[in-house]
Order: sequence, then C-alpha cells, then structure tokens
Amino acid sequence: MSALAARRPLFVMLSPALSLLGVFIAAPMALTIWLSFQDWSTETGFGEARFAGLDNFRAIFGPTSVGRDFTGASVNTGLYTLGSVALILPLSVALGLLVYQRRVRGGVTLRTILFSTYMTPMIAVALVWSKLYSPSDGPINQMLGWVGLPPGRWLSSPDTALSSIVILNVWQQVGYFTVLAVAGLTQIPVSLHEAAALDGAGPLRRFIFVTLPLLRRTLLFSAVIAVINAVQVFEPVALITQGGPVGSTNVLTYHIRRVGIERSQGGLGSAMAVMLMLALIVTVVALFALARRIEDDGP
Amino acid sequence: MSAVPLRWRLSPFARAPGFADWLILTAIVVVAVAAAFPLAWMALTSLMTPAETMRTPPVWIPATPSLDAYAKVADVIQAGRSFLNSAIIATTTTLGILITSLLAGFAFAKYQFRGRNVIFALVVATMFLPPIVTLIPLYRLVGYLRIDGGLMGVIAPNLANAFGIFLMRQFISGVPDDLIDAGRMDGASELRILFSIVAPSVTPAIAALALFAFVYHWNSYLWPLTVLEGHTENYPIVISLSRLLSYNRGAMNTNLVMAGATLAVLPPLILFAFLQRFFVDSIVSSGLKG
Repeated sequence: MSALAARRPLFVMLSPALSLLGVFIAAPMALTIWLSFQDWSTETGFGEARFAGLDNFRAIFGPTSVGRDFTGASVNTGLYTLGSVALILPLSVALGLLVYQRRVRGGVTLRTILFSTYMTPMIAVALVWSKLYSPSDGPINQMLGWVGLPPGRWLSSPDTALSSIVILNVWQQVGYFTVLAVAGLTQIPVSLHEAAALDGAGPLRRFIFVTLPLLRRTLLFSAVIAVINAVQVFEPVALITQGGPVGSTNVLTYHIRRVGIERSQGGLGSAMAVMLMLALIVTVVALFALARRIEDDGP
Repeated sequence: MSAVPLRWRLSPFARAPGFADWLILTAIVVVAVAAAFPLAWMALTSLMTPAETMRTPPVWIPATPSLDAYAKVADVIQAGRSFLNSAIIATTTTLGILITSLLAGFAFAKYQFRGRNVIFALVVATMFLPPIVTLIPLYRLVGYLRIDGGLMGVIAPNLANAFGIFLMRQFISGVPDDLIDAGRMDGASELRILFSIVAPSVTPAIAALALFAFVYHWNSYLWPLTVLEGHTENYPIVISLSRLLSYNRGAMNTNLVMAGATLAVLPPLILFAFLQRFFVDSIVSSGLKG
C-alpha cells in the first residue's frame, strides 16, 4: 500500500469530527480569547471589533457595577461549586455503599430511581422544585410542619436561595455520581476486606483504611466532573430566580450570557468567560495535585 | 448457609436480619422515597383538578385522576410542534454524533499516525469545556453561517462530540486486530470494515452513546434558547415549557405546569427504563478506563 493510499482512509475517518470540532469548538474558543481583548458588540460582525488592550479585564475587576456584578457572580459560583462538591462526594459514596451491598435487596432498584432523576430535563426539575419550595403552600414546608420545624423561605430569601438551588442540583445529579462510586467499589478486591476483618478491623475501620483509600481515583474523577457541572448551572437561575433575590443566585453562566448575549457586550462577556476558563483550569490542576499528595502521604 | 428458609427468599433480606440489616433497609427506603418524591408529586399533581391543587391542607393523591390538564397544556405550549422539534433535534444530532464518533474513534483506536496522541488529547480536553465559554462567538458564528433561528442552528454545532469519540475509541480498541486484518485480506474497504465488522462488535457502546446523546440533546436548554431566540415555532419542548413559568406563581395552574413537566420528562425516562443497562455500563467504563 502506498503512503498516499494509506492516508486516504485516515482522512475520511478523521475529517468529519475534527472539522466540526474545529469550527464549532476550537474556533469559538480562540475567538473568545481574542474578543476578551476587544471592544465589541455581539450584534456586529467580528470585523467591527476594536482592540482595547486590557480594558475589559480592568472593568470586570474594577470598582464599578460591572466589576461588582462579576465579583458577585464569581463568589456565588465558587460557593455553589463548593456546596455541590461537598454534598455530592460524601453522598455518592454513602449511596454507592447502599447500592453495592448485598445483605439487603433493593440496591439495584435504588440505583434506577437515583439515576432516573439524572435523566430528567432541568426545566422540569426547575418547574417542580420551584413549587416544592413555595414558602406559603409548598409541600416541603408542609412536611417540615409535620415534624415541628419552622417553614423555610427557600428561593425567596437571599440567605437561602443559592443553597436551595444547590439542593435541587444535588438531588438531580447524585445518581450519576453514585454509579461512578459503585464502579469504584466494584474494583476493590474482596480479599482486602477479608484480610482486614481477619486482623480484627470492624466495618468502620475497614471503610476508613480499605475502602476510602482505594476510592481515591474515583473520587478525584467525580470531583472534577462535579466542579465542571457546577459552573454550568443555568436553568434554575434563568427560570426561577433570574439571579435574585438581590443577586444572591447570579452565577457565572447566567451572568456571562446576560452580559454577552442579552446586553450584547461581547468583549466584556468574553473576558469573563476567559476568567472562568482559567479558574476552572486552576481548580482542576489543584484537585489533581491534592489527590497526588494524599496518594503519597496515604495510609 | 446455603439452605435459605423460604420466608427469607421472599423478604428483602438475604438471610436472617440483624440490626445492621434493618438499618440498611431503612436507609434504602428513605433514600428511594426522597429521590422519587419530586417526580411522583409532579405526576400526581398533573392529574388533579385546579380545586384540588389549591386546597389547604394540601391534597396528595387526586380523588378522580383527570387528564384535563394535559389537554390544556398541550394547547398553551403548542406541544405537538414542540415535541416534533425536540424529536428532530435529538434524533438528527444523535445520528450525526454516532457517525462522526465511529469514524474518528476507529481512526484513533486502530490507525498509527503522527500526532495521534496529541490530537486525541486535544479532542478529549474539549469534553471538559463548559459551553458558556464558547457561547458568545458561537452565537455570532451561526449567524455568519445563516443557520441561526432554525433547527439547523441548534443541530450543526453538536454533530461531533468529544465524549462520543472517546467512548468509541475505548471500545474499538478492544476489537481484535486479527478481525480487522481478515477483512482487509478479503479486500474490504476501510469504511466497510468499520461498519460491517467493527461496529457490530461494539453494539452495546453504540446503544449507550445513542441514548446519552438523545437524552442530552432532548434536555439541552442553554444553546437552543440562545440560537432560537424569538423563533417560537422552532422551540423544542424544554424551551416551550418556560412559558408555563408565569402560570407557576399562583396555585391555580399547578396541575397545568406539572402536566407540561411530565410531558417533557417522559421520553428520556422511557428510553432510560428500557436501556438503563447500557447507560450504566458505559458510564462505568468511561470513568474507569480513562
């Protein structure tokens, strides 16, 4: 087979995917970076962009309302991400153990129920939860009443709105992470548990010294995915709270779209998108570094 | 140990239960109820009359289930048209993803070429890119291509996808080279080898990818909302549903809103119910082999 003849199938195989990814992902990514240094309205062609140096970055970190809104959205996104990851990781392990154990039946049914929420469109989740959370007639407050707890204000108070969205997000996504945790648990050799049990380790000690260390890679993968999912939260904010009350649920995906698309401030929005990308890269690298350190120091 | 008494075979326990087993059973039931509650409440409320949805203390189970809310909501959100749009978007995108992923996955798995690992790493990296990062220029780009406002504008940017390429490469790597070489000896073209030898031996992965892609693009919200802005005749069901939000303020139309939500939830859930085995297997392998 000549070199050219050998190359042709390769070209046929790769060009559809690579040209699509090039046009619709690589090119927009490069344009986002370029536009972040331009003064550009989203309503005009790319040719209308004027070089603006670091003006956009100065503005989003500056003392004006542009800067305050961006800082607020960044803090909200950070809190939202922290809250989601802090709930999802331990829950996924706990639920994973429930699905994985064989002492009591029902694990597989539980997995099906948990995963079905993950298949549900976010719009439906948002519509349902905005009703469940209703402070006056919502079922959640009704149920709190049954056990004698005071009603919550949920989405209508700036103190609790962001946490309320974290909860509905965790409810929707935890099934996916549970499946990942079960996959991790399946990889742990039963013989290790048996050996630890022979040495007199109880269930709790076996969990801490056998299960958790061997779940490290699964947990790292889950953490990375959970972070990336968390910065994408959009529907509940766009549909229910519109960033409020008083900016408490204004998260970056919502804010960047509002600035860059609705207000057509394409340069500013792109600068925000670049900062989000950088923050995400730093976070993921930090997670990997943390996982490596735990691996080195680990038991 | 092997002689399990009959009553334990019918019970949730694998053997005579101790305290720990009761604890586990309680935990499973509590979690299952908590997880299922919102969707169960949604379905039940969609079958209520407006009077029932407004009663205090609230009614949990409709006295006489009625489908009135569905008839009404189908009208409000133009459910027929929206469903068709969603079906076209999800099906076309899924077919595109299957084809581009099979082709590229085959190349990355079975061809030796310069830069293979670098290109593959770059492709995989796009998997972790949040869509908002490219949203603004992409919005303008589809304008240049004159596909904004239409279904093609929703579909075209998603016809290739890194997760699909990754998944296909993982599974096609496991297909024996001998099988492919045998096809070459018979004089089959590379495309023929891919579609009549390789693809049939990775059917479970193809099924999983098809379902993932379909559900993801059925549910997708941010991009269709952005590219279709104002073109209501092209709205998929998830965007049309946002019209119901104004109905969500009072209790009076809760049954209507929940009927709309139930309609949007059904297609992905039905697909999932039939094919959940594939979903779960492929999540597991995409997480572990990575």
